[in-house]
Amino acid sequence: MLFNSLDFFIFLPVVFIVYWLLFYKNLKLQNIFVLVASYLFYGMWDWRFLFLILASTTVDYFVGQYIYSCDSNKQRKRWLWVSVIFNIGLLGFFKYYNFFIDSWVDLIDIFGYKQQSSWTLQIILPVGISFYTFQTMSYSLDIYYKRLTPTNDFISFATFVSFFPQLVAGPIERASNLLSQVTTKRTFNYKQCTEGLKLIIWGLFKKVVIADSIAPIVDDIFANYGSYPASTLILGVTLFSFQVYGDFSGYSDIAIGTAKLFGIELMSNFKFPNFSRNVAEYWQRWHVSLSTWFRHYVYIPLGGSRVSKLKSVRNIIIIFLVSGFWHGANWTFIAWGAIHALLYIPVFLMGRNRIYMNNVVAENSWFPSFKEILQILLTFSLVTFSRVFFRSESITDAFGFLKQIYNNFNFEIYEHPLGYRMIDYFVLLGFFLLYEYRIRRDERSPFKFKSKLVRFIAYTLVILGMLLFFDDNIDRSFIYFQF
Amino acid sequence: MKKLILKSALYVFLVLISLELFVRVFHLGKDTPTRILDEYNVEKWMPNQNGYSVTGNRRQNFSEYHINNSGYNSYREFTPTTDNIEVALVGDSFIEGFHQNYYNSIGKKIEKSIPEVEVYEYGYAGYDFADQLHLVYAYKEQFDAIDHIILGIKFSNDLTRGKYEVDTGRLQLESPMNKLLKKSKLLVYCKSIGILDPPQQLLYRIINILRPVSKKPVLSKEEINKIKKQKENQYLVNFKSLADIYRYDKDRFTLLLDSRITSDTFLSYLKENGFNYIDFSTYFEESSQSTILIYDKHWNNHGRDLIAKAISNYLKEIDLKK
Repeated sequence: MLFNSLDFFIFLPVVFIVYWLLFYKNLKLQNIFVLVASYLFYGMWDWRFLFLILASTTVDYFVGQYIYSCDSNKQRKRWLWVSVIFNIGLLGFFKYYNFFIDSWVDLIDIFGYKQQSSWTLQIILPVGISFYTFQTMSYSLDIYYKRLTPTNDFISFATFVSFFPQLVAGPIERASNLLSQVTTKRTFNYKQCTEGLKLIIWGLFKKVVIADSIAPIVDDIFANYGSYPASTLILGVTLFSFQVYGDFSGYSDIAIGTAKLFGIELMSNFKFPNFSRNVAEYWQRWHVSLSTWFRHYVYIPLGGSRVSKLKSVRNIIIIFLVSGFWHGANWTFIAWGAIHALLYIPVFLMGRNRIYMNNVVAENSWFPSFKEILQILLTFSLVTFSRVFFRSESITDAFGFLKQIYNNFNFEIYEHPLGYRMIDYFVLLGFFLLYEYRIRRDERSPFKFKSKLVRFIAYTLVILGMLLFFDDNIDRSFIYFQF
Repeated sequence: MKKLILKSALYVFLVLISLELFVRVFHLGKDTPTRILDEYNVEKWMPNQNGYSVTGNRRQNFSEYHINNSGYNSYREFTPTTDNIEVALVGDSFIEGFHQNYYNSIGKKIEKSIPEVEVYEYGYAGYDFADQLHLVYAYKEQFDAIDHIILGIKFSNDLTRGKYEVDTGRLQLESPMNKLLKKSKLLVYCKSIGILDPPQQLLYRIINILRPVSKKPVLSKEEINKIKKQKENQYLVNFKSLADIYRYDKDRFTLLLDSRITSDTFLSYLKENGFNYIDFSTYFEESSQSTILIYDKHWNNHGRDLIAKAISNYLKEIDLKK
């Protein structure tokens, strides 16, 4: 079920009303109801894969208890490996199996051995598998690192794993944040609900208006890159930057907003990454839940930055390569991760990776300084360049795309593949950037205006935008569902 | 909870009002003229109406229409005389041309090309061959004074019936309920951009939930061809029947068609039996520009230029004289 579908617009109010009216007093019933709703939400896509969620839930539920009850570190570690192998095994089979087989065949081909790739399978990638496996693993890892005590309530744990607002594309929550809320009685909070509704509206705007409307342009340019000049290709990848941001941050906002309606606070996933002043700041603002996961469970256990510079650099490379690989079973994602590692390392070596942690651009003024504008433009350009790899179907296509920019360094006016006015999109993105800049201090309050009238006008304009850019004929699924 | 529901409902209401205002101020929704069934059982637009046809979410196509005294979209009134040379263009929405300013219609383009000719455009969305011939027959006196009549047909759509009957389906759009709904420009706009399709489909799904679903039989290529052939034969029978009923005048009537989407059997029949036709397919094939609009398949300005050119060339060829 997609957040931007009619099904969800019927599902959400029904679940919301039943949740607060019928199960208001009993936490256990509240959780059972959310669990059933979550399984229904997921099952409407493909009910068979509910068994995978259930298996992952059951394994980590018991593994968590075993880790906690074991005295010896060796045994604790053994149980942790059960969780890691099971979850990574699920991911490995459903997401990476064909990639490894094909890569193996390609590798032996280099050495002159011809092998037909007959071992590859027709595997459907279960939606959200990368997200919920990481979430359940975090539970076992936190218990292993003694940051968490396991729960004895299977229903609560299953609700934590499958909580429908964030089940299929995050934010990837840690048990210390989400499970503790699931096991605590929720009471109806008017302010929290209105904040949730506002986030849902803003998220829908980002998805329907920003991401979906420019998708046909990006698809056209990447599919026919060989016939376009550099100006069009640069336009294509720049628009893709906005598309992927609108798509994923829109999803996250809807997820956070929906969770708020049920009295649950999820972590922020996007903090206006387009205004980052260096790549390190970008990673503190883009897909925060995944970065946090990797920092806690990979980077810090490897020694993080508390080891020698050389080892720290190694850790950074590992984390970015793994992060790239997490996105998909394709060399393009690994290349994308590698580029980000190369962009991050100089910032790290100069000791500038934490300087923008607690402030935003133009922190105490209306306008950014000239230096900040240059920094933002440079960061945006570098990140956008890396997206050539993120968006291309294969490494060959990515290099072909870059080669075409170099070889055909010309300017031509691009015409929309469906004949629409391109100026509409430029005006739209201009206003969108200005608005995001206006609200840059708080990603959870997109309609923070003192005047009720201004707030009301903002709601109306956002909904009007959705009408003006709604397109019935395009694929409305979210990009991150494939990861 | 109560406060949330009440306040949300209030906000929804106010937002809807504001959107209605926006849609009206920026004229995002199309105007729909009123339909009538006249005393001759001819369906047409109510005379003397003006409005704007809008296509696309953001007014990608915006054009003015003017329904004349005869009930058709045209800049001129239809008053054929024995002194002037008049040509009638009869057809569906393609001839009606709500997608182009009425003063830049196909007729106007033909008149520019042949100044001595007056073109009367009897276009009405949904008119098939039966509607067209019934109109010509019902207004016999008027059409007898017109020198030449061009009938636009699309083979796959316009020959599905062999005799004329009033199409009640289209007239139901004038029901009190529909008229009331059309008063909301926001609703008209939302319907035109397809945002109301999902709830409508859901409604049909719910209505049909208890009805048994009849499975569509899987047909072989031969069976599909056989059905296609049967349909083509039926369309030809319908054409013959209508031509017979309404005494089709081969000297004064010409068909306007696209041979790319017309059956060869039908084309052969026309040729063998002396039915004249203008085939505009070559004009469209040779065009390097798109001939249709962005949002629908109606001809754009360039497409209409080509149609006008095809008709003008034909009229010059037959050399109409009074």
